[in-house]
This record gives sequence, structure tokens and C-alpha cells, in this order.
Amino acid sequence: MSTTRHLLNRQRRLAAQRPPVQRAADPVRRRRPNATAARPARTLLSWPLLLTALTVLLAAFSVLAYVQGGQQDTAGSNTALADTARTSEVKGVVDETVQGIFSYDHTDPARTDAAAARRLTGAAVAQYRTFMGPVREQGPRQKLVLTTTVTDSGVEVLDGDRARVLVFADQSSTRTGKVGGTTVAAAMFAVDAVRQGGTWRIAALDTFQRAPGTPTDQGKE
Amino acid sequence: MARLTSRARRRPSRTAATGLAAALACAFAVWTGGSWYAVARDERAAFARTRDEVLQAGEQGVQNMNTLDHGDLAHGLDLWEESATGDLLKELKDSRKQFERQVESAGTTTTAKVLSGAVTELDERAGRARVMVAIRITVVAADRKSNTKDSRMLGELSRTPAGWKLSRLGQAPVGDAPAPTANPSAGTPTPSGS
Repeated sequence: MSTTRHLLNRQRRLAAQRPPVQRAADPVRRRRPNATAARPARTLLSWPLLLTALTVLLAAFSVLAYVQGGQQDTAGSNTALADTARTSEVKGVVDETVQGIFSYDHTDPARTDAAAARRLTGAAVAQYRTFMGPVREQGPRQKLVLTTTVTDSGVEVLDGDRARVLVFADQSSTRTGKVGGTTVAAAMFAVDAVRQGGTWRIAALDTFQRAPGTPTDQGKE
Repeated sequence: MARLTSRARRRPSRTAATGLAAALACAFAVWTGGSWYAVARDERAAFARTRDEVLQAGEQGVQNMNTLDHGDLAHGLDLWEESATGDLLKELKDSRKQFERQVESAGTTTTAKVLSGAVTELDERAGRARVMVAIRITVVAADRKSNTKDSRMLGELSRTPAGWKLSRLGQAPVGDAPAPTANPSAGTPTPSGS
């Protein structure tokens, strides 16, 4: 009987323990099948979906940022005036060069040649020769002294080693030959400058394709 | 169980693909967003934008004030006043009546083309700027004779609530002394100067 008692006791003991165990286990067991079924489903749906939505949002933002940044960049690549040091540097060189190469003294034509050789490059060399041809020809005979003064100049574009400068200049020519007298003429043109080996040089002269014979307004003020 | 494992095997690959796409998008967004931020924050770039704004307003203003059709005076002169502020605007308003009579009797039509322009000074805080503009003006007289001349304009702009406007405008003076009737003769080399 000891065995039966033993079994009975065991059964009783187990029965006494069961309810709390069952109660504790029950909700877990009931929830678990649901949870295991729902979790992979939610993971399957939500992770890729979330990531896709994130991707789309980020891509949209990127496009906006790229366009915005790019637009502002185009204005930013021209540093005329914004880069004060470079702006005044190129302006100074162009002013000095224009005054040097477009001034002429019949007693010292070599000085003009030297200025031109030092500061002109590319297409500007041939353009300059065309402009100064008549001066070279008639200068000695007319005893011509031509003085060019830059009255205003402004840097239109400054982009790295390239620049475009608008120049207003006065040209006073004095003749002491047979036809004497002094005349002052107004000039306006744009200059393309390039920086080669740390030196700014004039690469092109833009005369705004002026039809020959069109008089420049002399300024009535 | 077999199903579960196969699903489990497929799951990470799809997640990985979208994850990779998201990571790429994230990296791209950081890059473009960063450059946008850098550009927007860059004071020099902001200054450059203002400079372009000023030049645009200056060139447009100069062009407007060199454009006038004797047959459409009111509209033309309204445009003049729209481009001006301060002293220049006052001047235009004061002389408008007299000017209208002059142009009406002369019967001229003036058109202009900006050749080139540059901002020479810009004070963002004070809202003041100076521009120089090279312009080609064509005047057609009553007898249909047309005359084209190039002009060197110097302008001063002020910032107004309605944008940058010209507060002063004139031609660049020639010579230190009042220029004599300059005689364009052979020997004057420069482009527009002959």
C-alpha cells in the first residue's frame, strides 16, 4: 500500500501544483500560436514596406537637394565680387594692361610692344594687331601720343582661372605733326582674361561686334 | 516546418534587398543634402546670388529707360518709373509731362540692347550697389531714319521691398574736363572708341 499511498500522494501533490502551473501556462500557450503566426507575417510585410517607403522618401529628398544645391551652385561658381581679393587682382591687372597696350608714344613705341608681348595671349594677339595697326602706321608721322585711361571697369565673371571684365576707357590722342590738336574718345569693350602660371593675361577682346562707322556716344554730360 | 524554413530563407533576401536600397538612398540623401546645406550656408554663394539679382535688375532697368515708343508713351514711361526709386524716380516724375511732349513732337521710337554689364560695388547690408552697363541704342526718327549709338551707362541701385531698383543713372563722362566734340579720326585704336 505504501506504493499506492505514495502514488496517491504524488497525484495529490501534482494536482495541487497543477492549477497555478496550468493557469500560468495557459495564456502563453494560447497566445503563442497566434504570435508565431503573426510575427513572421508582420516582419514580411512591414520591414520591406518600411524600407521601401524610406527609400522613396530619401530618393525624393535627394532629388530636391540635388536640384536646389545645383541651382545655387551655378551662381556660386562665378565668384566675381564675392571673392574680393581675386576680383581686385584681375581688375587691377586688366586696368593696367589696357592702359599699357592702348597707349602709344611715337618716341617710345617699344614700351607699348613690351606691354603687349607680356600681357597678351591667344586670339587677343591678332585682335590687338588689327586695332593698333593704324596707330603704328601713322604714329611716327603724326608724332602721336595716345593715352588710354580706364575710367570704369567691372568683373562680370570670375571662375577659377578665367575672368571677363567690362572696361570703359577714355582715349586721348595728341598730335604734334602737321595736323595738331588733342581729341578724347570714349571706348567700351570686354576683356577675357586667363591666369597662366600665376599671371593674368588678356586672351580676347570683345568689341560687341560693332558695325564699322557706328559712332560711340560721347557722353553729353 | 519545411515551409517555415523556406519562408525564413526567402525573408532575409527580400529584406536585404530593400535594406540595401534604403541604405543607398540614405547615403545619396546624405551626400546631396550635405552639399545643399553647404551651398545654402555658404555666404559667398548667397552674395553671388544677390550680385546676379542686382545685375539682372540693373540691366533690365537700363534697357527699360532706353526704350520708348512715341506711340505708346504712357506704358513706356510707366515702365521707366517702375524701374526707378529714390532721386531718379522723383526726377522722372517731375519731368514726365515735359518729356512726353518732347517725344510726341519728335515722333521717335527708341529701342535698346544690353551688350554687357557688371556689378562694380555691392553692399548687401546697406542695400546699395553700382553697376556699369554697355548698351546699344537705336533711335528711329519720324522719317524712319535710324541711328544706332553705343552708350556707357553707370547706375546706382537701391534695394526696395519690390526688389532692386535704379536710384541713379547716367552716362560715364568722357575725359576729365567736359569732352570736346570728339572727332573720331584714324589713329584711335580701340574697339568702340574710334
